[in-house]
Amino acid sequence: MRKSGEERREIDGSKRGGSDVNGIEKKEKGLKVIEKKPPYKAYLLFGLFLILLPTAQKMGLIGSATITVLGTVIFYAIVGIGMNVLLGYSGLISLGTAGFMGMGAYMSAYLTADLNLPFLLSIVVSVSIPLVIGLVIGLISLRLAGYYLAIATLAVSEIFRQVFIEFEAVTNGFSGKNAAYPKLFGIIQFDRQLTFIFMVAVLIGLMIFTYNFIHSRTGRALLTMRGSEAAAQAMGINLLRYKLTAFGIATAYAAIGGVLYVHFIRFAYPSGWNLMLSLQILAVIVIGGMQTIEGPILGSFIVFGVPELILKQLPVIGNVDGLAYVFTGVLIVVVIMFYPNGMIRLGNDIKKLWKKGRKHGKEQLPASE
Amino acid sequence: MEKNNCLQVNDLSIAFGGIKAIDHLSFTVNQGEIYGLIGPNGAGKTTVFNCITQFYKADHGDIQFSNRHGKVVNLNKKVTHQVIHEGLVRSFQNIELIKDMSLIDNLLVGAHIEYKSGIIATGFRTKKAKREEEMQREKAVKILKFLKIEDKANSHIGGQPYGVLKKVELGRTLMSDPKLILLDEPAAGLNDHETEDMSNLLKEIRDEYGCTILLVEHDMRLVMDVCDRICAISFGKKLGEGTCLEIQQNKDVQEAYLGKGD
Repeated sequence: MRKSGEERREIDGSKRGGSDVNGIEKKEKGLKVIEKKPPYKAYLLFGLFLILLPTAQKMGLIGSATITVLGTVIFYAIVGIGMNVLLGYSGLISLGTAGFMGMGAYMSAYLTADLNLPFLLSIVVSVSIPLVIGLVIGLISLRLAGYYLAIATLAVSEIFRQVFIEFEAVTNGFSGKNAAYPKLFGIIQFDRQLTFIFMVAVLIGLMIFTYNFIHSRTGRALLTMRGSEAAAQAMGINLLRYKLTAFGIATAYAAIGGVLYVHFIRFAYPSGWNLMLSLQILAVIVIGGMQTIEGPILGSFIVFGVPELILKQLPVIGNVDGLAYVFTGVLIVVVIMFYPNGMIRLGNDIKKLWKKGRKHGKEQLPASE
Repeated sequence: MEKNNCLQVNDLSIAFGGIKAIDHLSFTVNQGEIYGLIGPNGAGKTTVFNCITQFYKADHGDIQFSNRHGKVVNLNKKVTHQVIHEGLVRSFQNIELIKDMSLIDNLLVGAHIEYKSGIIATGFRTKKAKREEEMQREKAVKILKFLKIEDKANSHIGGQPYGVLKKVELGRTLMSDPKLILLDEPAAGLNDHETEDMSNLLKEIRDEYGCTILLVEHDMRLVMDVCDRICAISFGKKLGEGTCLEIQQNKDVQEAYLGKGD
């Protein structure tokens, strides 16, 4: 967890205040406002920026394909945020993300297209059912740890994929399942732009929700569990309950990602929900940065956005098959070796370096005179 | 169990394979006292702690505890994470703090059971959840002030000196408003000055917070300074119980520590 510059300044300021009355007052105040303010404003600004993109496309500033790619980045970012709660905060690993994402996608497609359920109701159902199934699976598999848990969740995900192929009545098997853009309250028919904006709203909402519960008792319990199971138990943290919480969050977010996927791409195909996708989600948080809310968004952009938007435009190498995977693979190695905290911290470190450099420069100035 | 008893360990035994780590051990801690558990290395002191806090399940014997509502409960019937709800909290010999978190967050982990709001309420930041968080934070700041480390509230645990870490572990135990605190070597690794500081803190916790303290310690100066009564054990068996003076003059204790004189 990073500290905001504000609170640091406040504490520094109080120290500089020294022994005068004013200084003591400041110190008192500094201690009371110890909890840092949630970065709602930054999140909303980010959302606003994203919402303006479809308009920019209409004006011809960016291509139509760019919006599709950025939409992809958004729903994978949501899945990544959920995965980060599981891996980053509670230290558990799952390779079953793709399966739960697919389940959410197929379910919502079936409910809206075949059963004509309203979109919002379909979201609730398509997230709750994978969540319940996920919790039951968690209840059984969370007795395992480390690699064993990874293998168990991988097996579950493969079972799901087989179900997607065989259960043709719902999933349409190998032909793939079609879905429509969402229709709100049965009257407001979304087009691609509105669906994009809706996805942005969901992303920002989930970012705020996640930030809040991570900076509360729940987040602290998860981090404690990851750091020391003994300490967690001694402090009254029910390990199974919090492991299930983290697992449930990851599952629910994956299902939400799946629902958005199917209503934005408007198509789901069984072999898309495979191990490769689960591994890419892992890459999203490893590259983006664990234990941050913003990391998975940057990671998702790098893993799912950059290959499509930039690499494919390059001459010659842009045509190489599987270039995206090579790119992701190399990046994972580079990040783990040289920047294990994730790319999201790059900005912070540059800022620090810059400040240091400026301070250095100022100190040197009188000397040179 | 008598009225002023806080914790009563009756005939406790546990064996790991063929090794009897604790062998029919009984002792009683009274309300409001600092009780020391001493013994040579490998005597089974930490094992006693682990049995009381249910990290280990004892093979034999029971542990009666007069809980925060004054009701006597058998701790053996509790699961590890339920023990703190009764008003009994422990610290660890090898500091078990979370290095990804700040000092104050580590303290707030200690207040885990004091929170009522769940993930949904905290996620939406309801008024109640917010008020709860503020309340606990104020309490944490008070405890940090009491420990004289309030200026480091927002610093990360990683890289803090050992003395500070020991204090944070102590502070974390205080966050749950405990009745009995089990401290596993609170002075291990501290220098003379810090040990003296720790002695004073322990006495203040007894007198101001009204907590009973059961501690395991090797630093005899601290033990003799703060403990009201002491129980000495060796190879899982009780050698003697009594005041500091009585323990110092106990033949068996002298033998266990210094060897047999001819």
